[in-house]
Amino acid sequence: MFSDQQLRTLHAAIDRVIPPDDFPGGVEAGVADYLLRQLGRDLAHLAQDYPRFTDALEAEAQAAHGQAFVALGDAQQYALLALVERGEVQAVWPLDPATFFAQFIEHCAEGYYSDPGNGGNRDGVAWRMIGYEVNG
Amino acid sequence: MSHYDAIIVGAGAGGGVAAGVLAREGKRVLLLERGPHSEFAQVPRDHLRNQRMSFYGHNAGPDVDGNPRTLEDGSIVLPHERGYQNNAAMVGGGTRVFGAQAWRFMPQDFHMASTYGVPEGSSLADWPIDYEVLEPWYERAEWEIGVSGTDSAMTHLPPYKRPYPMPSLAPNTSMRTHLKGLENLGWQALPMPQFINSEDYNGRQACIRCQHCVGFACPVEAKNGTHNTTIAAALRSGKCELKSGVMVERIDCDDGGRVRGVKWIDNGGRRGSATAEIVIVSAGAVESARLLLNSATTREPQGLGNHSDQVGRHLQGHYYPMVIGLFPERMMDNQGPGGGVATCQFNHGNPDVIGGGMLADDFIVLPIISWKMYAPRDIPRWGHAAKQFMRDKYRCLGDIKGPVHEIPSPDGRVTLDPKVRDKFGIPVAHLSGTTHPETVRTASFMYERAEEWMRASGAQKVWGYRPDLRLSGGQHQAGTCRMGEDPAQSVVDPWQRVHGHDNLFVLDGSVHVTNGGFNPVLTIMATSWRAAERIVEQW
Repeated sequence: MFSDQQLRTLHAAIDRVIPPDDFPGGVEAGVADYLLRQLGRDLAHLAQDYPRFTDALEAEAQAAHGQAFVALGDAQQYALLALVERGEVQAVWPLDPATFFAQFIEHCAEGYYSDPGNGGNRDGVAWRMIGYEVNG
Repeated sequence: MSHYDAIIVGAGAGGGVAAGVLAREGKRVLLLERGPHSEFAQVPRDHLRNQRMSFYGHNAGPDVDGNPRTLEDGSIVLPHERGYQNNAAMVGGGTRVFGAQAWRFMPQDFHMASTYGVPEGSSLADWPIDYEVLEPWYERAEWEIGVSGTDSAMTHLPPYKRPYPMPSLAPNTSMRTHLKGLENLGWQALPMPQFINSEDYNGRQACIRCQHCVGFACPVEAKNGTHNTTIAAALRSGKCELKSGVMVERIDCDDGGRVRGVKWIDNGGRRGSATAEIVIVSAGAVESARLLLNSATTREPQGLGNHSDQVGRHLQGHYYPMVIGLFPERMMDNQGPGGGVATCQFNHGNPDVIGGGMLADDFIVLPIISWKMYAPRDIPRWGHAAKQFMRDKYRCLGDIKGPVHEIPSPDGRVTLDPKVRDKFGIPVAHLSGTTHPETVRTASFMYERAEEWMRASGAQKVWGYRPDLRLSGGQHQAGTCRMGEDPAQSVVDPWQRVHGHDNLFVLDGSVHVTNGGFNPVLTIMATSWRAAERIVEQW
């Protein structure tokens, strides 16, 4: 579904949405695993759009900075995604940037904060971070 | 073909109680349920697919595939999608996965039309029975199903003749904080009555205070539904046969109006049928209406009991104004079920609005629900600040919400879709209309009271969701086979027998004339108990 390059772009974007600090970022916590699983399942209708989204991010990075998205520093990636969030893009996007990005944020949060059975929130790390305990 | 004394369609709150009563009295019962008879492990703790957050599906049915409904705009909706008005489909029905609030309606709830008048365009009406009639049956359900609570705190009701069988659960941090808020305001405060064992009861253990109560099955069966009480007893008696995974297609009725039995289709596509002396429909307000409409005869071409065009009308549930507050300290202490302190200060007697509703603090909120619905709107949705908010503040959020007594409209209704069929080939429910707009005014009034309470509890910042006009139903669905003396304006008589049919009954929320400002399940159980005992008495 994703080429290696598309996957690297996706990972970088996930880690800007849920960045690592003293708790794991989205990728380390399994958000990409969650997303890939869902793209074969409940989000199958977006299986074509997600690679288009990462390609568009890539085109956007090239248009703005003349560099690959993954080659940008964290701050530049944030700034670029903030423009995407507002729909202020330079490249030609095959999908609505603001709408797709809003969706992407939801999917990242689902992977991070829902139960580990869904493929993300590895070992319940997000729940430990926020103090949600499961007994019984 | 097998013959039974009674066939019951639907093993939820109403049908489950009926099965228990009839089997105990020695009647041979066939209990039919479209959903499964699940073990605990078969009701997943999936945070994206449960009765609290059905984002991608359900943990307690119905299946996403093959069970569509249609809406007024022509769209087809699936069980987990907005507008479907879903309720759980499994043995125990909603009681398997509910939040287990065990409210009696108030005496005034049965007299809405005579108390407030009837707003133009609404079908607000009085019940043909009142609190006094239901009181012994409320008590019966509280003792036989098992409720914990504090009767002396229920000051909005006439004094209880018998206390609850179990004391209230010990309060958690959220309850203590919101109790202080109510005290600051001088409003009535009470521990919410719950179908949850606060101590060992009826051979099952006390609640372990876990964090997966509402929306999920109980890991220790300390949450009391029909599946582990009346249905379990009926099955033990040997008098009740349970068939799960079967969808009833139609009720067979002869030319004289006498019901003969039912036909069904199982999940493997096999057809079956049985005959009985009586048939009880307990499929919930949407599906019970659908079944009656799908059982048309030459005598009643518009559907059984539908000679006055009443079946399927007055669909109602509850609007839920919801207020969220951010507190300086932690509110969430991981002591489930979470919700527990309530006020009935504003169910009635409010200036300029019709009725009102109960307000309470909420259950433990799943992290993903908190992220999706509870985060304040001025917090960034991504990046460091969003993560930091969840990390620092998830446990500092509180919420207050409550069911508003709806003002029904005859146009809020269930009909049959002329084209769309389910996986069994049965015409599906088409949902149209809305609740009467007066409901929005009452809900806005209740939203403001919730805000007041939240501030009095010490929240630093308060925001929330005001309900908009819409069709209601969902887990509290009611009203589509309204109870009444007059066959021109109702579907069942005050004993829940379908007008014009000696041996056909409806025992579920469909019969509610109005739905109270409370979770309706105890009232469904009480009315069903009363009707089922009457059926046996008159056998």
